[in-house]
Amino acid sequence: MRDILVVREVAYPREMVWAALTEGGQLAAWLMPNDFQPKVGHRFTFTTKPAPGFDGVVRCEVLELRPPERVAFSWKGGPLDTVVSFDLAETAAGTRITLCHAGFAGLSNLIPRVVLGFGWKSLLGRKLVHHLGARDHGA
Amino acid sequence: MSRVSPDQDPFRAIADPNRRRMLDHMLSGERTVGELAGILGIAQPSVSQHMAVLRLAGLVDERHEGRRTFYAVRGAELQGVADWIAKYEAFWEDRLDALEAHLARQKQ
Repeated sequence: MRDILVVREVAYPREMVWAALTEGGQLAAWLMPNDFQPKVGHRFTFTTKPAPGFDGVVRCEVLELRPPERVAFSWKGGPLDTVVSFDLAETAAGTRITLCHAGFAGLSNLIPRVVLGFGWKSLLGRKLVHHLGARDHGA
Repeated sequence: MSRVSPDQDPFRAIADPNRRRMLDHMLSGERTVGELAGILGIAQPSVSQHMAVLRLAGLVDERHEGRRTFYAVRGAELQGVADWIAKYEAFWEDRLDALEAHLARQKQ
């Protein structure tokens, strides 16, 4: 199973980053309009513009909440039934944010096989393999 | 611009794990409904129903030979799906830029 992993260091204290991740109003300011509440089991949605295969609503449930280190929620929208998590670590300069978007298993296993099977040599193919290989749990 | 009905939506078609398994097996060559039913351990009528969804979504082609029908994957249609997932990483990079800008505003 392969996940998307994005690591970002920011020059702000961890408590401040935590608030930006776990207060609905702040989440709306940088991610999407939502009715998030910092409570495990709380179901909420993010809303955005619809696209082909996607009604514009991401359905979520808070799965983990460990202030000020980790928050995880399910992320279901379009063909996706995935999990998004943020881990926050204090660094000398501020905070390291590790975003993991996991659960592409079924799709990501299929697509590289399509790319290989049809001999696609497009930039997309190379980029996709690179992107899906960002993290490999070896499952 | 024409609207895609839910029935023809390739994203919806691949959202089902059994249909993904069927596609997976058809990638290595043409298959009949009966063969797929045997491989996957699913009843033939279910495989037929799933195949109808894949066909409506334009993900598979059919070819008749005598009384048998062979199905194969149309790869180009899946590229749109691959493209969509590849965009998710760009989405998160972009959102984390927005988070940083938001934090800068909070600091002021």
